[in-house]
Amino acid sequence: MTLWSRFRSWLRAAMGRSRMEREMDAELRFHIEAFAEDLARSGVPREEALRRARIEFGGIERAKEKCREARGLSLVESIVQDLRFGLRMLRKNPGFTAVAVITLALGIGANTAVFTVVNGVLLRAMPFPEAERLFLVSLTPGGGPFEWQPGVSDRDYLAFREQDQAFEQVACFTKGSTANLTGAGDPAQIPVAYVTTEFFSALRTNPEIGRGFLTGEGEPGNDSVVVLSNELWKDRFAADSEILGKTIRIDGLSRTVIGIMPPGFEFPGAKVWMPLAIRINEHNSFTRPVVGRLKPGVSPQQAQAELETFAEHQPLGPGESKKDRMAQIIPLKDLLVANIRPSLLMFAGAVAFVLLIACANVANLFLARAAGRGQEMAVRSTLGASHWRLVRQLLAESTLVSLIGGAAGILLAHWGVQALTALAPAGKVPRMEMVRIDGWVLAFTLGLSVVTGVVFGLVPAFQATGYGARRSLGQAARTVIGGHEGIRSVLTVSEMGLALILLTGAGLMLKSFLRLRAVNPGFSPHSVMTMTLDLPESTYTSASQIRTFHRRTLEELSRLPAVLASGAVNWIPLGQGLVMGTFQVEGGQRPRGFMVDKPCVSPSYFRAMGMPLLRGREFTESDNATAPGVAIVSQSVARTLWPGQDPLGKRISMEDEPKPEDWLTVVGVVDDVKQQGLAKNSEPAIYQPYLQVASTGFLSHMTFVVRTGSPPERVAAGMRAVLRNVDKNQPIAIASMDSLVATTTAEPQFQTRLLATFALVALALTIVGIYGVLAYAVAQRTREIGVRMALGAQSADVLQMFLRKALVLITMGITLGGAGAFALTRVLMKFLFEVKPTDVPTFATVALTLVLSSLAACYVPARRAMKADPMVALRYE
Amino acid sequence: MDQPMELLQGTLDMLILKAVSLGPLHGYGVLLRVQQISKDRLEIQQGSLYPALYRLEHQGWITSEWGESENKRRAKYYRLTAAGKRKLQTEAEKWNRMADVIAGILRSTPEEV
Repeated sequence: MTLWSRFRSWLRAAMGRSRMEREMDAELRFHIEAFAEDLARSGVPREEALRRARIEFGGIERAKEKCREARGLSLVESIVQDLRFGLRMLRKNPGFTAVAVITLALGIGANTAVFTVVNGVLLRAMPFPEAERLFLVSLTPGGGPFEWQPGVSDRDYLAFREQDQAFEQVACFTKGSTANLTGAGDPAQIPVAYVTTEFFSALRTNPEIGRGFLTGEGEPGNDSVVVLSNELWKDRFAADSEILGKTIRIDGLSRTVIGIMPPGFEFPGAKVWMPLAIRINEHNSFTRPVVGRLKPGVSPQQAQAELETFAEHQPLGPGESKKDRMAQIIPLKDLLVANIRPSLLMFAGAVAFVLLIACANVANLFLARAAGRGQEMAVRSTLGASHWRLVRQLLAESTLVSLIGGAAGILLAHWGVQALTALAPAGKVPRMEMVRIDGWVLAFTLGLSVVTGVVFGLVPAFQATGYGARRSLGQAARTVIGGHEGIRSVLTVSEMGLALILLTGAGLMLKSFLRLRAVNPGFSPHSVMTMTLDLPESTYTSASQIRTFHRRTLEELSRLPAVLASGAVNWIPLGQGLVMGTFQVEGGQRPRGFMVDKPCVSPSYFRAMGMPLLRGREFTESDNATAPGVAIVSQSVARTLWPGQDPLGKRISMEDEPKPEDWLTVVGVVDDVKQQGLAKNSEPAIYQPYLQVASTGFLSHMTFVVRTGSPPERVAAGMRAVLRNVDKNQPIAIASMDSLVATTTAEPQFQTRLLATFALVALALTIVGIYGVLAYAVAQRTREIGVRMALGAQSADVLQMFLRKALVLITMGITLGGAGAFALTRVLMKFLFEVKPTDVPTFATVALTLVLSSLAACYVPARRAMKADPMVALRYE
Repeated sequence: MDQPMELLQGTLDMLILKAVSLGPLHGYGVLLRVQQISKDRLEIQQGSLYPALYRLEHQGWITSEWGESENKRRAKYYRLTAAGKRKLQTEAEKWNRMADVIAGILRSTPEEV
């Protein structure tokens, strides 16, 4: 029989039983009528002819039944039959079914939840037309002190825009800027983007209301226009339909609203878009992200080649070297997700392990049951059921279980996703709004369930039917056990290995996280509140204006009840940014590449932050613009510049070519602080009194810190009142220093928690698994135990026998898992802080935990064996 | 005229294949063709004809399609497939060899044994 005809026959059967029935009826009716006509032609009356034709034909129903049989049972019908039978079997063993379903629901649910996040964040397309044609153009190499941002310098951008042939349009934009919105409810700091005029058309998304930017907008004098996001328009302007042409105030400047974007558009994470004209400035060359839409028919590889040629020929900027350039054409989405991808993929890998362990567990369950069903299989195969048919029957059962598990898993995933989004560090995971259980997720879960069902069902199915068919009926039930035990042991060992790998990963992450938490930041973050301000240039035009604002604020803050000390710094440690740079040393040489943070602080800043003064004095109110310049250096600056000497009285300057009045005298030494994050090095810093700093750029961004004797949140209201009193147009951003510290550890904390959860689930499943294997072995060998004990074995011998078996399994599992962990934990390298991926204490602790918990799981069944009464055992069966 | 004989076990399939090898036929046509070429000496149980047709179709020896009969009615026509043609050939050879052997045995005389 050809495969094709078999397939066609099935297909036809699958197309519908009723159509085949109708055709069969029609065919048989034709036969009888044709026969009757022939009879009528030979003279028989018509009625009589029909009657005779029917009789001659014989039993029509019987013929039909035989026809149906001849055609064979259709695939669909037999699958329905298999499923119905499977369902009946599962209902008969509710305990077994429940355990299997719950185990799989855990595995599939966890995978679905993680996939939902991966799908939303990494896989789903950007919400632009033909988003797959949008690419970032980047010439910046990774590996700098900050998170990598793809970008092109303004100079290169202008040149590239002239030469480029691969893109329809390229647009330059800023990411991560903020601005003060005033005059629309409370003043607020909102995310904004400055974009070149091609931006919206490159994304092929135009404002829903009004228009985008015109060529030439963005040039000075022509740039006071703004496009709003739909959400901002609704929240802040009550969806005012007359808003076009009205002006709003951003950073104190009036801008005319020209457009409202469609709902959901917020790329690159902004609520307001303002025009940007790229001009080359002698002093500054900005590097910003550049997006381009590929021309039809141009591949990313061609664009990459073009960009490489460009990078090769474009003259280098001042101070730039060849290795500062790396030509890359990157999918647009990477701008948002490149930094989160590794940790999401790590979660996906970890959660796949959980599913594998769940599969091994359920496969073990099915094997145990298959042994009990050996007799049934033997009977059925003797009665003519084909081997394939029996395998199919068992696969139908396992798939049914995994499908039910998958359905329950979707429910679990629904909660899981909610938990994940709630636990995820705020602002660290981009595109969270794209995360939802959609058709792709459901398809993923369905596929995963079917694959799972086949994976864990295949071995038990072939085992059961293979033995069932080969053994004689009487022996079937008993003799299958030995073979199964081998496979079950293999499954248990691999389960333990997988669990050990996960546990080791979680252990490493936990150790790393604890180390991170124990890091001394160089200041005392408890009982400190912070309030951060960005004073707009438009209102605060001079340094003296800004200083007046600062002095008033500091005075009022220090008068608040329970305030012990209050100070101010322009870039707070663990905050959003820093100023870093070079300096000159009087009579000495600054070591090559030695750069320092340059914070400007108020006199009592060090006391408010709890940074101990190691030598000299603090700044005072008399260190002002008219007094001689002073500075306080951090310990590592003193050590590096003047090893073994007294740093007090030494002179440094922030100017490249200092004039006599530019020299600053060192008056004190403080500890180094963690400026960029707990996981980063403490940084050398040179502090200046803010009253001696003239550049508004160093003063307009300022964080006020207040140390209190009462719980820090209690002074928040007072701080808010102070700010409203000094300038009611400034948005308020108040946070406790503890929460700022927590923000910097939120990501590792999330990673650790999630991995630990997966590892604990894996451990629980594994313990249940090893318990099951041993309990089953004990139950199956009750008779043997009875014989041994009747022949004089002590119960300790029996216990030893089973524990030895358990120890063999555990040792193999630990060995394999340890090797696997050794090979795999290196993927955690970039997530670990001061812990090597092959940290021996962690490996040992985790292995010991697994050994002990497995032994505990084995002890219960082994004890049961020990207590067995020989007489009962011998009568067993 | 001789009394029609009942078919030997297992020969119906071969006869159907032969009948449709001469041209597409509907079920009733198969019946008539076999009776005609056997000169009414063979009798086919009408009830067993259709299961045999369905079985042959399921196995891919014959294929069917709906067409119009001589008396302008819709009828299902069966046709031999390439696989069916080969099957018919091997079945026929097997049958002929078997018939020769059986005939030889039945012709044998005491002297030959």
